[in-house]
Amino acid sequence: MLSFFSSTEFLTVVTALNTGFIKTLQLFFVTLVGAVPLGLVISFGSMSRIPPLRWLTKTIVWMIRGTPLVLQIIALYYVPGLKGFHIWSGGESGRFTAVAVAFVINYACYFSEIYRGGIQGVPVGQQEAGLVLGMTKRQIFFKITLLQMVKRIVPPMSNEIITLVKDTSLARVVALQEVIWMGESFMKGNQGYAGLVWPLFFTAVYYLVFSGVATILLGKLEKKLEYFR
Amino acid sequence: MMKSKKFWALLLALAMVLSLAACGGKDASSDKSGDAGPSAAAPEDQTSGGTGDEQKDSDSDLAYVQNKGTLVVGMTDFAPMDYRDANGNWIGFDADMASAFAESLGVKVEFQEITWDYKVMELDAKSIDCVWNGMTLNDEVKAAMDTGNAYCLNAQVLVVPADKAADFESLTSLEGLNVAVESGSAGEDAAEALGASTTAVAKQADALMEVSAGTADAAVIDLLMAGAMIGEGTNYANLTYTVNLNTAQGLESEEYGVGFRKGSDLVAAWNDFWSAAIADGSVLETGTTYGVQESLILE
Repeated sequence: MLSFFSSTEFLTVVTALNTGFIKTLQLFFVTLVGAVPLGLVISFGSMSRIPPLRWLTKTIVWMIRGTPLVLQIIALYYVPGLKGFHIWSGGESGRFTAVAVAFVINYACYFSEIYRGGIQGVPVGQQEAGLVLGMTKRQIFFKITLLQMVKRIVPPMSNEIITLVKDTSLARVVALQEVIWMGESFMKGNQGYAGLVWPLFFTAVYYLVFSGVATILLGKLEKKLEYFR
Repeated sequence: MMKSKKFWALLLALAMVLSLAACGGKDASSDKSGDAGPSAAAPEDQTSGGTGDEQKDSDSDLAYVQNKGTLVVGMTDFAPMDYRDANGNWIGFDADMASAFAESLGVKVEFQEITWDYKVMELDAKSIDCVWNGMTLNDEVKAAMDTGNAYCLNAQVLVVPADKAADFESLTSLEGLNVAVESGSAGEDAAEALGASTTAVAKQADALMEVSAGTADAAVIDLLMAGAMIGEGTNYANLTYTVNLNTAQGLESEEYGVGFRKGSDLVAAWNDFWSAAIADGSVLETGTTYGVQESLILE
C-alpha cells in the first residue's frame, strides 16, 4: 500500500491533478476578488431610490440567479463567437477569462442579496444615533452601517464561499482543465495511463482539504468580529 | 395603480431581454455587420456588398488561418489518435498528421482540448479551426461541417474477458447478454440491433471498466480504441476483443474524417495535403508508428 504512494503512477497523476488544482484555485480567487466588490455595487442598485435602476438591477439578479451557472458559462463563451465577435483570446487563457467573467457576475448577484440583507438588518436606531452625533450620510454608511453589516454577513458568505470552491468544477464544460477534468483524463488515457478511475475520486481530497482550510479561516474571522456584540 | 405600473415595466424589461436572447440563433448570414473576425483577416471583403458576402468570408478561411499564423486543432484525449506522451506533449496518428498539415500551410499548430459535444459550436465560434480526432463521419457531422475525404476505417468490436473469449467466437447474436456501451454511440446501436440488453455508460472507458469489474458480460467499443486500450501491456490486460459487429450485421465500416467550417477552403487544402502525404508514404509511416496501419484508407 505504502509503495503505491511512491510509484510513478501516483506521482504522475498527482502532478497532473496539481496543475488542475492550480487552475481551480486561480478561478476561486479571481471570482472572490471580482465578486465581493461587484456584489456591493449591485446591492446598491437593488436598494436604489431610482425605480428604473432598481427594477433593472433586480431583473438582472433574477436572471442570473434563475438560470444554471453552467448555461451562463456556455452562453458567455460561445455566443459572442457565433455572432462574429471574437472577444475571447484563443486557447486556455481565453477560456479562463470567459469562465471567470461568468463566475464573477453569478457570485456577485448572490453576494449582493447577502449584502442587502446585512445592510437592511442594521437597526434604524444606529443611523439615528449617527445623525444625533452630527455625522454625514457618507460617514454613517461607512462607519456605522457597513461595519456592522460585515459582522452579520460572515456566516452566509462562508456558505457561498465554500459552495464556490466546488462550483469551480463547472468550468470544465468549456474544456477549462481544472482538477476534475484532469482526474477524468486518466480514465480515457493521459501520459501513458489509461483506464484509471481512482484519480477522479482522489480529487475529493483536494476539495476537502481546501474547504477545510477555508472553514477554519472563516471561523477565525467570525470570532474576530465578535467584539461588536 | 402604482403596482400595475411596476408590473408593466417589469414585463417590458423581460420582453426586451428575451428578444435579445432570441437574436442568439443560427442566422449568421443576416449578421454581416457583426462579422468582425473574418473581415479583419481579409479586409478586401469590406468593399464587396450584397449577397456575395458570406461566400467571401468563407472563402477566406485559409487566409484567415494563415494571417493569424496558427491552426487550432480541436480534439480530445483519444488514444491512439491524440494523446499525451510522458512529457505532456500531444502525439498520436491524428496529432502528428495535424502538425504536418499545419506545416504545409506555413503556420504553427495548436492543440486545443474541447468538450466533444460542443465541437460544432467551437468551430462556428472560431475558437478552433478544425476537428481532427478520429471523428466518425455520421449524419450529425455531415450536416454541420464540411469534411475532408475519409482517411481511416473503423468498426465496432465486442470486448470480453480474455479467459472467456472462446465462448464468443463466431457469435452472430448477442441475445441474453448484458453489454456495456457508450451512451449514444454507434456501438450502442450495433449491440441493440444484435439483440443484446445494453447498459449505457458515459464513456467507452467506463464500458471497459464494467467488463473488467464483471458487472457486464461484454462491452462494445471502437476497433481503434480497443487496439490501443486493451490486451497485454495495458491496464486491461485481462480483456480481449473478438466479434466485429459491423460484419456480423452486414454493415459497412465507419469512416473517419477531419471537419472544417461549412464552406471552408481548408477542405480542399486538406485533401491536396492528404493525397500528397499518401503518395510520399508519410501517412503509412505515421500510421505504423501508432498501430493503425490496418485501418488506413490509402487511395
